[in-house]
Amino acid sequence: MVRAPFDRAASAAAPPPPRHREQTRARYPDVEGFVERAGVRVFYEVYGHGEPTILLVPTWQIVHSRLWKAQIPYLARHGRVVTFDPRGNGRSDRPTSSAAYGEREMAADIIAVMDASSTERAVLVTRSMGAQRGLIVAAEHPDRVEGLVAGGPSLAIGERRAERHFPFEEVLDTDDGWAKNNVHYWRRDFDGYLQFFFSRCFTEPHSTKQIEDCVGWGHEIGVETLIVGEYAAGLTADETLALCARVRCPVLVVVGDQDAITGDGPAIALAAAVPGARLVTIAGGGHVQDARDPVLINLLIRDFVASIHPGFGRRIR
Amino acid sequence: MRAAVPASVGLVAAADGVRIAHETFGSGGLTLVLLPSTPIVHSRQWKGQVPYLSRHWRVVTFDGRGNGRSDRPTDADAYRDARLVGDIETVMDATGTDAAVLVGLCGDGVWRAIELAAARPERVLGIVAFAPGVPLLTPPHAWKTAWSFEDELPTDEGWAKLNRHYWQRDYAGFARFFFEEITSEPHSTKQIDDAVGWALDGSVDAMLADEEASGGWDLDAVEATCRAVTCPMLLVHGSEDTCQPIGRSRRLAELTGAPLVVVDGADHMIPGRHPVLANLLIRDFIRSIGRTES
Repeated sequence: MVRAPFDRAASAAAPPPPRHREQTRARYPDVEGFVERAGVRVFYEVYGHGEPTILLVPTWQIVHSRLWKAQIPYLARHGRVVTFDPRGNGRSDRPTSSAAYGEREMAADIIAVMDASSTERAVLVTRSMGAQRGLIVAAEHPDRVEGLVAGGPSLAIGERRAERHFPFEEVLDTDDGWAKNNVHYWRRDFDGYLQFFFSRCFTEPHSTKQIEDCVGWGHEIGVETLIVGEYAAGLTADETLALCARVRCPVLVVVGDQDAITGDGPAIALAAAVPGARLVTIAGGGHVQDARDPVLINLLIRDFVASIHPGFGRRIR
Repeated sequence: MRAAVPASVGLVAAADGVRIAHETFGSGGLTLVLLPSTPIVHSRQWKGQVPYLSRHWRVVTFDGRGNGRSDRPTDADAYRDARLVGDIETVMDATGTDAAVLVGLCGDGVWRAIELAAARPERVLGIVAFAPGVPLLTPPHAWKTAWSFEDELPTDEGWAKLNRHYWQRDYAGFARFFFEEITSEPHSTKQIDDAVGWALDGSVDAMLADEEASGGWDLDAVEATCRAVTCPMLLVHGSEDTCQPIGRSRRLAELTGAPLVVVDGADHMIPGRHPVLANLLIRDFIRSIGRTES
């Protein structure tokens, strides 16, 4: 969504402490650090070593890099994994200007993290809105991107779900369903919004743990920072299609046929717009399979990386 | 779809003619028999154990009488302790298992394992007892006896569902309530759905017959049976067990000298809800008794 630029009248806020002590991890980073651009610090982590590097790209800053917790331990046994917290959440800074959350800034963070972590080239793995920044980097930095995975891409192309189209700023006479995607409701009951949004992300049965995790990460950003980001510029349909036409690396698009956030329209359109892209549809899958079907997603990533780096994933090192 | 498929399947008749369906997985020098908590669920209760354990040892499972692919007698006599203990031996004979480590959950699993170990020590190499429900060692949880099982009740709320008339009216409602109560850890919806499904594979008539057959125990005799167990034994009990009081494990530990592992925060369904922990406890137990075949 594109809205007029907006600046919150507040000084740059430090990240609030997590509400709970972080859960234990199956694997801890080998390297972690911050990279700073125009006064905004972004926190990154590196797991494993050698080639290839798989870069797990942030999605909407409503969650942070722990979204990839089920990918990191597996992929880092076979290669090197880099991930980072989006500006606005996790251990990254929380800029107070909406312009700081634009897709161009997000894409520039990818390059900055690659530079800071001495990553010459990487396979980019994205989820949802991450496809936009992934497309920018793949199209404009072809020497840095070996391949692009777009899971449940959220893009301005393809058939879009209609029920989400409630005005964000108007005072509505209902809180039902997607009417919760409204700034007044966010401020009134942010937890209610997070519970609703993530219950729509995970439409599969037995997703209570994934929903609970994501709601917790959502609370780490805080409602006002999330609101600032809502006024940032995303890619238009024309921009998206122009980028798609320039992508030369292998592209894998994965979408659940029960995706209640984006539907499968943007995924189908992306696969059609990028030359040679492959589309995998997961029967019964929702919007965030990285968390809900991690083995399936990990094996799809493995096979995709192996198509670029033969032998990847065969031997544990 | 299963993570491990059986190496053999069979159907064997017990002494009273009731046919018992059994499966074996894997191979190797040591056999584990995973006992059914029958007739409320069947052998799929061990789905989190079979693939792991059968990579290391031979595993035998069977559906208890009253559920799964076994016969479903509806007379109480078919569910006496002696019949249920006899089924273990019947299945061991049918699968060429001279002796085995027995793994059980709750009363249906653990009490019968103890009875067999006391009566036929040469056939039982060891027992891993999850949430043991040995009768009478302590009183049951108060909520389990708050309502009469036999009387018509003025309510269906909560544990009032543990009632003959409610079972006959809405057995599915009982199954869902019961497994939600005893699987109270967060993020247990899959385990609950599975258990309810296995309950509905069975029949309320078998459950009623089993209920009628239970009881009639004598505390001195129960304790004597526990003391008579000579094989190694491991007790595992959740600190939050809603089905079997943890006091029963503490008393059983006193009677047998068996170590007790208390799983902090766990409710009753430890093998289903905490499968990796359960599997590693079984593995370590087998190692501790000097059984390293794999």
